[in-house]
Amino acid sequence: MAVTITTRELVPAPAIPPRRLPGDPGRPLTASRTGSRLGRVGLVVLLLGWFALPLLPLALWAFADQWSYPAAVPTEWGTDGLNSAITAGGIAAFGRSALLGVAVAAIATLIGAVAARALVAGWAPFPRLVTVLLFAPVAIPPFASILGTNVILLRAQVPSLLGLVMVLVVVALPYTTFTLRAAYAAHDMRYEEEARTLGASQAQVLWRIQIPLMAPALARAAFLAFLVGWSDYIVTLIVGGGQLVTVPIITASLAAGVGNDSVVAVLSLAALVPPVALLIVLARNGFR
Amino acid sequence: MTPMTSAIALREVTKHFVDRQPAALLGVNLDVLPGTCTALLGPSGSGKSTILRIIAGLESPSGGQVLLNGRDITSVLPEKRNVGLVFQRPLLFPHLSVVDNVAFADRAAGRSWRVARERALPYLDMVQLADLGRQRVGSLSGGQEQRVALARALAAQPTILLLDEPFSALDAELRHEMHELLADIRRQLAPTVVLVTHDRDEAATVADRIAVLENGQLLQHDTVDGVYHHPASMAVARLMGGENFIKGVTIAGVHHSGLGSISVDESIPDGPGVLLFRHESLGVSAGHLLPPTGNRVHATVTGISRTGLRRRATVRINAEEIQVELPATLDVSVGDLLTVDLPRGILHVVSESNQ
Repeated sequence: MAVTITTRELVPAPAIPPRRLPGDPGRPLTASRTGSRLGRVGLVVLLLGWFALPLLPLALWAFADQWSYPAAVPTEWGTDGLNSAITAGGIAAFGRSALLGVAVAAIATLIGAVAARALVAGWAPFPRLVTVLLFAPVAIPPFASILGTNVILLRAQVPSLLGLVMVLVVVALPYTTFTLRAAYAAHDMRYEEEARTLGASQAQVLWRIQIPLMAPALARAAFLAFLVGWSDYIVTLIVGGGQLVTVPIITASLAAGVGNDSVVAVLSLAALVPPVALLIVLARNGFR
Repeated sequence: MTPMTSAIALREVTKHFVDRQPAALLGVNLDVLPGTCTALLGPSGSGKSTILRIIAGLESPSGGQVLLNGRDITSVLPEKRNVGLVFQRPLLFPHLSVVDNVAFADRAAGRSWRVARERALPYLDMVQLADLGRQRVGSLSGGQEQRVALARALAAQPTILLLDEPFSALDAELRHEMHELLADIRRQLAPTVVLVTHDRDEAATVADRIAVLENGQLLQHDTVDGVYHHPASMAVARLMGGENFIKGVTIAGVHHSGLGSISVDESIPDGPGVLLFRHESLGVSAGHLLPPTGNRVHATVTGISRTGLRRRATVRINAEEIQVELPATLDVSVGDLLTVDLPRGILHVVSESNQ
């Protein structure tokens, strides 16, 4: 019997290139970071430009005695703007704004800390309702709430300055409470328990442990509350009844007139100084 | 003779948390004698840390009393109790230097920084960290941090030192060092120590007595040897790592079971009972060279397991299988014959109902 043997050509399997891993010959252990570094630097430059660009015309206007269209730069340099700002009571307004900011920061940070601690520790009754109420000033249109509040304050014969601080504290509370709530949630209460077993009273625990450990968050919260007081216009105008002339009030009234570009620029730039200085101080102390 | 007053005593202490059922502690009675070290041992959620927090005053008991040197301190504030506490996390105050952490109790007591720091130095020296006093706490290693935490608690000169699993986050070598350090401190200061741990080896290493807890109840408080060899119940035996539970009946000092008729202590009452013995305490020899007697039995190896250098064999003896620890020099395989000695002193019988 004839046996037929057929042979088939062996087809080699398609070669799969070995997977090359970091560290193989010819491959670095880490990917190059040049691209991502360039990207980050580019983003920072872009952001700086975004914030700095509007300030450039202000800076030019602050030292322009004359700047007529279509000139690209001031046609006459000088300090008329600075002189006018001082004459218009800018320095006193600066002091009043600073005091208002400090007062709002001090009170709103204290109340915010107590509220945040109560919410985190579960001491606050109806915590969701409390949270909504604390957040309400951000959600409700300011005119609606401020006009209504002003009527109540007037009827209750609350002095306008006290009323102004009270309303601004309420406006600042969402910022302080929510900043501090996050910080208290991350705070290990056992530090305080440990301190108490070491003989520290509740007051000592607050002073020696809680405040130092919470200092960065307290500083952040106070900064935000200061900004509320420092930069407020509407509440100061309506509740303050025009009695308290702050930097935003004086700036806005001058901006409403004609030919005051230079003095408005000086006041606007001056208004930037305290927040920026505070930011630098916070950053240098590691309170970012 | 007047009985010695306990450094710390719990009387019928109960604790209910609002959002938790069942009770965290149920009628706990505990006496810790001055200068001794007691380990509170139990699984997670057994209530051991709650006991420590109640002693420290950080939790109020729902019922019962806490006595410190015979004085009722149930309602006393934590800062007035003079009780030192070291947590699992060192919790060093990050805004203070190492020496200022140790000096904290003196500062809280109103002493000046200079005096407080001077008084802190011997305690830093005791934990062998005298040269690190000026450092920020962030620069310390985990072991160093826990040493500083121990020094800080000791510097407050507490009546009682509470340790809440203080070494469980450390690696084996550091833990061993900390055990030696604690032994040193006990030699030097003889503090009364209550240690919470879930590690029975650690409890046996550092403590004089062990209080075994489960589900908020204190099951047994006895010497280390007592809880290992004479567990009050099968639950204690299981929690202490016991693996041999032989059901049978005791008649006139002899326990009859599938294992055979084993002589036990004559004081053990007649009736059904579970024979308990530690696998580490059995005498094991190769072959069947010696004839079986009451407490010497012949066995066949049915399985071998290893934990580190230790080897454990499952052996069949008559109708029962038990666990034995094999001596390091004994080379055996599955199917080999062994002779197992069960000395009367290591045998214990508990009632079957005593789960």
